[in-house]
Amino acid sequence: MGNFSVKWDTFWEIFFEQGGSNRVLEGLLNTLKIAVLGLILGIIIGTLIATVRVLPKYKVLPRILNGFCSFYVGLFRGTPVVVQLLVGYFVVLPLCGMHFPSLNVCIAIFGLNSAAYVSEIMRGGINSVDIGQMEGGRSVGLSYKTTMLSIIIPQAIKNILPTLGNEFIALIKETSVVSFVGASDLFVAFNYIGSNSYDFIVPYLVMAIIYIVLVIFISLLVKLMERKLQKSDRRN
Amino acid sequence: MIDVINLNKSFGSLSVLKDINIKIEKGEVVVVIGPSGSGKSTFLRCLNCMEDPTSGQIIFNGVDIANPKVNINIHRQKMGMVFQHFNLFNNKTVLQNIMLAPVKLKIMNKQEAKENAMKLLERIGLQDKADVYPSSLSGGQKQRVAIVRSLAMNPDVILFDEPTSALDPEMVGEVLEVMKELADGGMTMVVVTHEMGFAREVASRVIFMDEGRIVEENNPKDFFNNPQNPRLKDFLSKVL
Repeated sequence: MGNFSVKWDTFWEIFFEQGGSNRVLEGLLNTLKIAVLGLILGIIIGTLIATVRVLPKYKVLPRILNGFCSFYVGLFRGTPVVVQLLVGYFVVLPLCGMHFPSLNVCIAIFGLNSAAYVSEIMRGGINSVDIGQMEGGRSVGLSYKTTMLSIIIPQAIKNILPTLGNEFIALIKETSVVSFVGASDLFVAFNYIGSNSYDFIVPYLVMAIIYIVLVIFISLLVKLMERKLQKSDRRN
Repeated sequence: MIDVINLNKSFGSLSVLKDINIKIEKGEVVVVIGPSGSGKSTFLRCLNCMEDPTSGQIIFNGVDIANPKVNINIHRQKMGMVFQHFNLFNNKTVLQNIMLAPVKLKIMNKQEAKENAMKLLERIGLQDKADVYPSSLSGGQKQRVAIVRSLAMNPDVILFDEPTSALDPEMVGEVLEVMKELADGGMTMVVVTHEMGFAREVASRVIFMDEGRIVEENNPKDFFNNPQNPRLKDFLSKVL
């Protein structure tokens, strides 16, 4: 550790003069792309799944859909995301005779994966809204759907926002395994710098700092949004 | 207006309502009293199918709304309900609470709904609370807003499910006052309550329920002064 300043100089040299910064920037962009698009995909699919799972189950179709959705959630929560990536990229796609860029596959897999978690978060959020809110809506003649959309879900989203923020943070951190299928993220960029200088101390340290800064930034954002949504709780 | 025929309701093997028959006429104020567990709230909630009746008919304006094939939402528009715990929409302001249903159901446009809502708020003296959220209202204010929320749909009848039971004693009066005004204005009302004073003063008919049956019904004067059923005598001796 004595020659830390030398290591630091080597890192800076590769970072600035040998194109390291471009790779880091590209890696950071890819990391964010996978996490953000994955979360958006997850929220869309997750909301659909949660909707199916809270639907009243008098009829046959909701029951079948519910069975399928709980199978889906069980499957994606029951396997590590690395395994899902590997199976998706090296097993499912080739079997279907398809090929996509690894970045797109990563976005899709992370989206499908987080959909399973988001659906459970949403379901909990919807169930946490007092049943009286639904009865209040139905009593004035609003349909189940209208009450759900304009009364229940807005309150559920407020309840689950912190948890959804955590899901996003978890997603960002989990993306660090995408190199398994050849996508280049933050980890790949710093790994490149490390390999070129035969020294991993500084690159990995900087990588860790970048991850932490990202997470702190997102936590702040979530807190801000939460405060804005809590308007209806405050006495004014 | 409402004709209940052989209404039965059970939860699993527990039979809560047994063969209820009652006719409620336009302009009547029917007060339902009874010990807890007698089925009076369930009876009220069956009237607008908030609980689906197990068997029997509920004829409202000529339609059997207990029939699952009937679109209940249309009929609930004409059958308001006021709950023990108010059930105001927490994510909407007072004004939005009142406007929501008329606008969503395309009965009024936004402007009309807003004017109507302000008029209703003025009637209960809460026009200055139009833009606050329900969380900043007192219990009595919440319940008054809940009453005008159901009024905004211009219903034929309003069902009250223990509207004053969750209120501080000093707020009960203001809610009963609004209900009394409604009754004086000719609104048809079915009220489940423990407020014997209200029953005596405002009701056109009082019903006593026990163990899922209507055991006595009469005008308030005879009901309170000359009860027949021994169970009712016992009940009145405890609450009066």
